[in-house]
This record gives sequence, C-alpha cells and structure tokens, in this order.
Amino acid sequence: MEMELDKISNLPGHAIDQILSNLSITEAVRTSVLSSKWRYKWATLPHLAFGNQCFPVSSQDHAIVKNKLVNIVDHVLLLHNGPIYKFKLSHRDLLGITDIDRWILHLSRRPIKEFVLEIWKGQRYKMPSSLFSCHYLIHLELFNCLLKPPLTFKGFKSLKSLDLQHVTLAQDVFGSLISSCPLLERLTLMNFDGFTHLNIDAPNLQFFDIGGTFENISFENTFCLTVISIGLYANVGNEKRRAYANSSSNLLNFFAHLPCIQRLEVQSYFLKYLAIGIVPRKLPTPCVHLNYLSIRMNFNDVEEVIAALCLLRSSPNLQELEVLARPEEHATMATFTNCWEDNHFSLPFNQLRQVKIVGIFGIKPELNFINFLLLASPVLEIMSVKPASINGGWELLKELLRFRRASMQAEIIYLDP
Amino acid sequence: MSEVDMQVIKPEMMKSYIWLQTADGSIQQVEQEVAMFCPMICHEIIQKGMGSSKNHAISLPQRVNPAMLSLILDYCRFHQVPGRSNKERKSFDERFIRMDTKRLCELTSAADSLQLKPLVDLTSRALARIIEGKTPEEIREIFHLPDDLTEEEKLEPLKNSTDDPRIRLLNRLYARKRKELKERDKLKSVEAEEERVDDRSVDDLLSFINGGNGEVRKFCFTDSKGVKTSKGKKKNRRRKDPQKNASADESVESHEKDSNGLNFVCHRTELDKLRPHPGETSKLPDVEDDAFAHKVLFDDGDIDDEIDPALKEEIDREVEDFARRLNSDWPERMQEILSLGQERRPVHFFH
Repeated sequence: MEMELDKISNLPGHAIDQILSNLSITEAVRTSVLSSKWRYKWATLPHLAFGNQCFPVSSQDHAIVKNKLVNIVDHVLLLHNGPIYKFKLSHRDLLGITDIDRWILHLSRRPIKEFVLEIWKGQRYKMPSSLFSCHYLIHLELFNCLLKPPLTFKGFKSLKSLDLQHVTLAQDVFGSLISSCPLLERLTLMNFDGFTHLNIDAPNLQFFDIGGTFENISFENTFCLTVISIGLYANVGNEKRRAYANSSSNLLNFFAHLPCIQRLEVQSYFLKYLAIGIVPRKLPTPCVHLNYLSIRMNFNDVEEVIAALCLLRSSPNLQELEVLARPEEHATMATFTNCWEDNHFSLPFNQLRQVKIVGIFGIKPELNFINFLLLASPVLEIMSVKPASINGGWELLKELLRFRRASMQAEIIYLDP
Repeated sequence: MSEVDMQVIKPEMMKSYIWLQTADGSIQQVEQEVAMFCPMICHEIIQKGMGSSKNHAISLPQRVNPAMLSLILDYCRFHQVPGRSNKERKSFDERFIRMDTKRLCELTSAADSLQLKPLVDLTSRALARIIEGKTPEEIREIFHLPDDLTEEEKLEPLKNSTDDPRIRLLNRLYARKRKELKERDKLKSVEAEEERVDDRSVDDLLSFINGGNGEVRKFCFTDSKGVKTSKGKKKNRRRKDPQKNASADESVESHEKDSNGLNFVCHRTELDKLRPHPGETSKLPDVEDDAFAHKVLFDDGDIDDEIDPALKEEIDREVEDFARRLNSDWPERMQEILSLGQERRPVHFFH
C-alpha cells in the first residue's frame, strides 16, 4: 500500500531534477536520507546554486560561515555525479578564497554552460586560468573579480551572455575578450577598472548595458545592437571638453555603427560625453527604429541641450520619451537663449505617445522644453511631470496649464515628488 | 455531451476536434487547438496525421489517465487563449495547483509524458514548496515514502568516493588523538609502540603534502594576503581558526542544535571526517578506535563528559591547526602543479 501511494519517487528523472532545482542546494541534498530511492537523486542535479540560503544565519562569525560554505561546496561537488550545466556561487559572506580555484578547475572539466560567481566581500578575486578553458560557457556572470586570461585563451566561442560588474581587466584583455566571443548577444558592464577605451566589436550583440567611468566608446560591426543603456559616472572635465571642442562629434561617432537601435538610455553624464565636438543639427542617418529614449540632462548646459536636440531631431519614430534632470546642477542661469524655440515647426514627433519628465525644478529652460514637446507631438497621450521638490509646485502647475498642446488627447499628469 | 452533439456543434463553432484515447481504452473528442498545446499530441497530429477520426485516435501515454487528461486540458484551455495578462495566468496557475500531493505527482507525471513543460515546471515548483523546510520524517509522511534506510545508512557518508587525502589524514589524526586520550584517561603508563608508528606515518604524509614546514607558512601568508580590509595578524589568525568549529566542535556540539537538518551538508562532512575511513580501519592499530568513532556517531555529544576539557581543548587546537595547514596549503599547491603543467606545454611545442 505504501509503495502504491508513493507517487513522487517514480517520477521521471528530469521531473525530479526540476523539483530539486526549485529547492536550495541544502534541501536538495537532504533528500538523500528520505528513502533508498532518494539516496542519489540529487546527485545528478544539473544546476547547482550556492546562495545565502545554503545555511541559516545562526553564526555571526564570518570565518565559520566561510568554512561551512567551503565544506558544503566541496562536499556537493565531490558527491555530484553527472553533468553540471549551471553553477552559481553567491553568498554574502563569501571572500575570494582560493578554494574557488579548485571548484572552477573541477567545473572546467565538465560541460559547464552557465557560471555565476559573486564575491560580495574583500578584494577582487583573480579568476583562475581554468575558467578560460570552459569552452561550453553560454552565460558568464562575475562580480568583484579580476580577469587575466592565459595567453592561449582563444575566446569563449559559445558565449551569448556576459555580465561583468566590479571587475578589473587590462585594456588589451577587454578588447580581445569582447571580440573573441563571436556569438555574444548580451553584455553588461558595471563599475569596471583597468580599461578606459571601450571598443565594442560584436556582430551578434543585441543588448548592451554599461555604467562606469571611461574615456571613450566606439562600436564596430554592431549591426544587431538594439537595446543600449549607457551611463558615464564621471563628469567630463572642462579641460577635455575644450581640447576636443573642434574635433569630430562624439555623437556622430556613437551612432555611426548603430543602424538598428530601438531603445536607448543615456544616463549620468553620458550626454555630456556625446556633446563633445561639433554637434551637427541632426545625424546623417536618422535612427528610424528608435522608439524609446531616456536622457538624463542638465537643462542649463547649452552643449547638452544641443546634443539632446540633435538626438531628438534624429529620432522621428520615437514613441516613448523620458527626460530626467540631473539634480546636482540646478543653479538657474540669468541669461539663457531658448534653444527649444521654433524647433517644433520643422520637427513633429508623429509617433510620440508617452513622455515622462522627472526631477525638474520649474526653471525656464525646463518649461521651454515641455512647451516644445507639447507643441511638437500631435499624437501625445500622456505627459507625466514629476518635479524634484515640492517647492514651486504651484508655479510649475500654473505654467503647465497654460501650454498649448498639439495633441487633442494629451493628458498632463502632475506627480508629487 | 454525446458524440452526436459534438458532430452537430462542430461546423457551427468552426472548430476542429481530434480524438484522444487514454490507456484505459476510453476515447474522447477534444478541441484541436486545446490539445495541440501539448507538444506530444501536436507531434502526433502533424507528423503522423493521427487523431482525425475515432479509428485513428491518438493513444496517450500510460501515465495520462482520464482524470489527469481532463485536468491537463483545463490547463491548456486557459493558457492557449492569447491576450491573457501575466497576472491572470498566475492566479489561474495558483488555483490550478491546489490539490493533494498524490494528484500533484500524478499530474506532474502525466504532463511530463505529454511534454507539457510549463505545467511540469508549475507542478514541480508546487512540489518543491511542499518539501521545503520540512524534516525528512515530515516529507516521508506527506509523500508516503518508505523509511527503508537504517539509521546507519542515514549517517554514513552519502557515497564512499571520499578519497580526499585531507579527509583521510584528518580521520587518522582524529583516530590517533581519540586513542591517545583514552589511554591517558586510563592512566596507563605504557606508551604504545604502535602509536609512534602511526605518528610517524601521519607526519610523513603531512610533510609529503605540505612539502616542508617553511612552505606551509608561506602559503598561509599568501592566502590571507588577499583580504582588502587591513586586518592584523591576529585577525588573520582568527579568520583561519574557526576550522575548529568546522571540524571538531560543530560536529559534536551543534549536533542537537541542527536537528532541523538545515546544516545537513556540512554535517555530513564533519561526520565523514570523524569517522575512520572504511578503508583505513584495518590499518588502525586498535580496534577500539573504530568503536569509539561509532560512539561519536551515535551518542551525539556525550563525548564531552568523558574528556578533560583542558585536554580536549589541546587536541582541538592541534586538529584545527592541522586542518588549517592542510586547507590553506592544498589549493595553492594544486595551483602550483597546474601552472607548472601550463608552463611546460609551450616548451614541448618548440622542441
């Protein structure tokens, strides 16, 4: 009777794997004491994830936690029997200990496809050379690591997704790493050091998310790149701006190899970077596929405004626009020419339906911009305005009410800060 | 609804139906678009042209009984409709899996045989949620699992592939220390000769692995170097020390605390270390060692009462020191061996 009722033990192997992979690794291994049939069921689990739930936070001493973690991973890897496709190690108390080298070596001998390592504490962990012999990797995700591939490294030929955050790579390593992953589709780079020139040569890249401090960025063979989110975390110094004032436009260079761009987020100081050089009135080839644009800008900075205008003029099919004011620079200027005037006549946004404006202070240039958008967007449906502070809210509202709108349906929503 | 009714309705609804047969022999008609949601059925229709008439009914796998089929079709009927929001789908799924575990298992099995992956995912998640946080006894009761493992089996290392020399050495060290302790307790004046033999062999092995004491110190240093925060030597030492907890103390003292089993994995490791390696037992000089180790396993923590705390501390310190050296040293040496191998390779190329 008992046997008949025991339905779960007789489920097919991959269904059991599916159940076990929804459990924490500890719980999965624990199933081995259930019954003889469950003795080794966990040992073929192809996905291993060691996270915070590996053990309860009963211990305050990090060293105890570390030792436990090492024991757990050692033990599981030793007893595991079968291919490991996914390995994830992310524990909040994990330092870059040398035990990890051993685990990576072990994994590199198996057809590992997804590898995630997040070192939450201490210095950058230097990836062992064995990582670079994981030829089957499809997804690689590293946090707080240092990458120095061996000279024999020829690239990750199967890699489709690369996520590097808080990493250190030498300039040449970065360049060759990207170009030697021919199938790369997704690339995330956050808070990196060791390299400042970003040349992205990736024929299959579709998604690119970057945030950090860098000198310049260029694209090559990026025919498939459709989604970009880019943030420059350090302001461009005046010195540099002047030095490159008469050089070729960064804006032109940036868009020269992005024929398919659909979504673009310009964050932090990146608009400042784009504003360097002689900005054209509009791009030679408009971004016809661009339907979503988010820009963070300083409304008082004429150079940035000119760059933003160029971007807007070159985006005829924009459907959604988000503009965020940079909060730290809101000092009002005494004299300011209205850059946004008269532009609407030559430039209607025939697709623009949603506009979000966040963090404004109600200063004249901001109001001019809103006025310009309302006049230039005949099919606008919603414009939401969220000021940076409650001060001057009434004044802002009064101004907003007065603006004429090209769209009959346009609804202006004032959001409390 | 009888078959005749179906035939009448069919042209009006502009829907095509297919015939399905379950293992018990019963045949039924099902909207094709709903049934096609199951890859297995879809394959039968498209590749084999089955299901178009009662005589060519698609015979479903054994695991799909009529009750399960009707459940699966409910699932398909809901999800094959386009334009449903994620929220709708989610709340449907939540309601859908509200059933006893026996049926949940049957459904998983049936969905799996029809290759209906989203449903397998859903039911697997539900089953995992049932298992989560439960003791083995509770899980056994819920799923009617036979308790067919002996206590010994439950405690023994999960698999006897533990060939790690570190663990083996540690086992020997433990065995030796336990024995020493016992002898001292009995106040025996005679120092067993075998002990010295054993002592030497451990030391031999130790030095073999470590490659001399000087290197050990060096490796310890390099190992602790990689920490960003400026910690004094004392701190570094502390970081290493807890090996004690991981090896000696934990296994014995926190045995009871961990009764919920959450620490099972490391628990195992400790037990593994404590217990003489099966292959080693014969080599151990005293049979009593073995018995002692079993005592550790079964008497859970009673051990402290028998030992002089000062002695115990001393032993623990030695053991932890041993383990520390082994632990810090081993990966470094592995690295060294590996890098040697890598450096050698190009040389071979040129010659």
